[in-house]
Amino acid sequence: MNTRRMMADIRKDMALHILLFPPVVFMIVFRFLPLTWIVMAFQDYNIFRGLAGSPWVGLHHFRKLFSSEEFLLVFRNTLIINIYRIVFLFPAPIIVALLLNEIRTLLFKRVVQTIIYIPHFLSWVVIAAIFIQILSVDGGLVNQMLMALGIRPVPFLMDKRFFRGILVFTAGWKDVGWNTIIYLAAITGIDPNLYEAAMVEGAGRFRKMWHITLPGIATTVIVLLLLRMGQILTSNVDQVLMLYNPLVYEVGDVLGTYVYRMGLGKMEYSFGTAVGLFNSVIGFVLLLGANALTRKLGDRSIW
Amino acid sequence: MTRLRRLTAFGVINALLLIMLCIVTLAPFLNVLAKSLSSEQAILMGKVTVLPVDPNFRSYAYVLKSKDFFRAFAVQTIVTASGTALGMTLTLMMAYPLSRTRLTGKNVVLVMVVITMIFNAGIIPNYMLIRRLGLLNSLMALIVPLCFNGFNMFIVRSYMQTIPLSVIESAMIDGAHHAQVLCKIVIPFSIPVIATISLFFAVTYWNDYFNAMLYITNYRLKPLQLYLREIIYLALDPQGSVGTQQTSESFMFVSPISVRAATIIASTLPILLVYPFLQRYYIKGIMIGSVKQ
Repeated sequence: MNTRRMMADIRKDMALHILLFPPVVFMIVFRFLPLTWIVMAFQDYNIFRGLAGSPWVGLHHFRKLFSSEEFLLVFRNTLIINIYRIVFLFPAPIIVALLLNEIRTLLFKRVVQTIIYIPHFLSWVVIAAIFIQILSVDGGLVNQMLMALGIRPVPFLMDKRFFRGILVFTAGWKDVGWNTIIYLAAITGIDPNLYEAAMVEGAGRFRKMWHITLPGIATTVIVLLLLRMGQILTSNVDQVLMLYNPLVYEVGDVLGTYVYRMGLGKMEYSFGTAVGLFNSVIGFVLLLGANALTRKLGDRSIW
Repeated sequence: MTRLRRLTAFGVINALLLIMLCIVTLAPFLNVLAKSLSSEQAILMGKVTVLPVDPNFRSYAYVLKSKDFFRAFAVQTIVTASGTALGMTLTLMMAYPLSRTRLTGKNVVLVMVVITMIFNAGIIPNYMLIRRLGLLNSLMALIVPLCFNGFNMFIVRSYMQTIPLSVIESAMIDGAHHAQVLCKIVIPFSIPVIATISLFFAVTYWNDYFNAMLYITNYRLKPLQLYLREIIYLALDPQGSVGTQQTSESFMFVSPISVRAATIIASTLPILLVYPFLQRYYIKGIMIGSVKQ
């Protein structure tokens, strides 16, 4: 690289570099600087002594992690809940998108879409508040209906058998409608001539769906599926934190909430950071794997 | 000229399934809305489903008399407005230079942004930073974590890259500086994406509670979402904590459940009112974002 040439270029575009400066500084301070605190995971961090003054303990916390029953429980919960979500909530938007695609009356389609997008814009505080109301023992809608059928009211949110189901259902309530957008967009990308040709050949609705629509969105589906699987250890902390309580920790406590409670709540900063680091690293590896796989499929890649 | 559509079995089932989906989506809302407008006895006796029983506005009156509610609402609004402004500004400042075809160091910065999109230092390191900067219990602690967003920046950058190069080049030949190009050409061209991304920011800020939970203990700075959480989760009394006196009268007529329901609805109202605009621009943004160059 010719230095003089480079300096001349920089001078010419000085205004651009000045524009870039504040955001880059911001990014460095608020995104890269916190990374230095990750060393806490390898120390016995003392908040009064800071990073420099705290003793080094190496992999001690990580060893503690892998032998801790609590951690394994939390890890298992995170994995299981994500698997449930993939199994139930991944196909759902695709199916709804297919159904919506078959609607010919534009008004009906628009109304349905407007309605099912709404929950996406609500905060988890609001959604949890709504469902806590719905599922409550006195005056909750679900228990009201149960009582009308002669069944005794159930405290759903405090019951280990139902909690994961509630997590999955509320997550679906919030985002299934919204997630249809990307599939609908993919469907509109399919060549309409294919449908014309199929109609001429006498293909019925299902035939068309099976032979044209599904293969048409297959790439999108697979890419999204791989990305989703790369997130198999994500915690959705916002949601769980609002819905869980000590009675359901055994099934509902996930990595993120564990870090929050242990790390910040109990002020075990080092340990909490170690768990968080473990989570991030695994997440990164999975993401790389997912990306490599999608790249193998040909055109699409996340970058 | 309308064609008559055959009523197929599939068509009917299809429509019914979608209608059921809509019902499941709306029912929880309607139930909470109904409860907020009903009397406590009716609620506890299980009479309220989707329509109010003994309709009255007492719960809303109770909530709206709460200074804490309005303070929390104001805090959330201030944070949302400032955060969106700051976030949008930073995004634009970054997107324009990075959308140029040639810039020294452009790729370095791009890689840095991508890294921030993949790696997050974690709850605890971020907490340590905010603490070290002395931002605990300040509004900045709520604004700063969310104002830098790589995804948003890439969307704006993609959009800016669709400006025909000839337009910018001819302006520069005519003697325009970068600043003038930015203000007179690029920004007016980008208004749709600015509207969309501003909405992205605004919704994110409005719905955030986690940062408040981490960084704010001063009750005067509690934003709406955190306030709502305390009302619901901990079943606190909206008028209870500070200031407003409760007369024994108001206590007699107002119910916890109905009041909680009213608080939920009151907190959701801003989003629902802005929703029609959100829908149009938000979806456009998703489309722009998912189109690769």
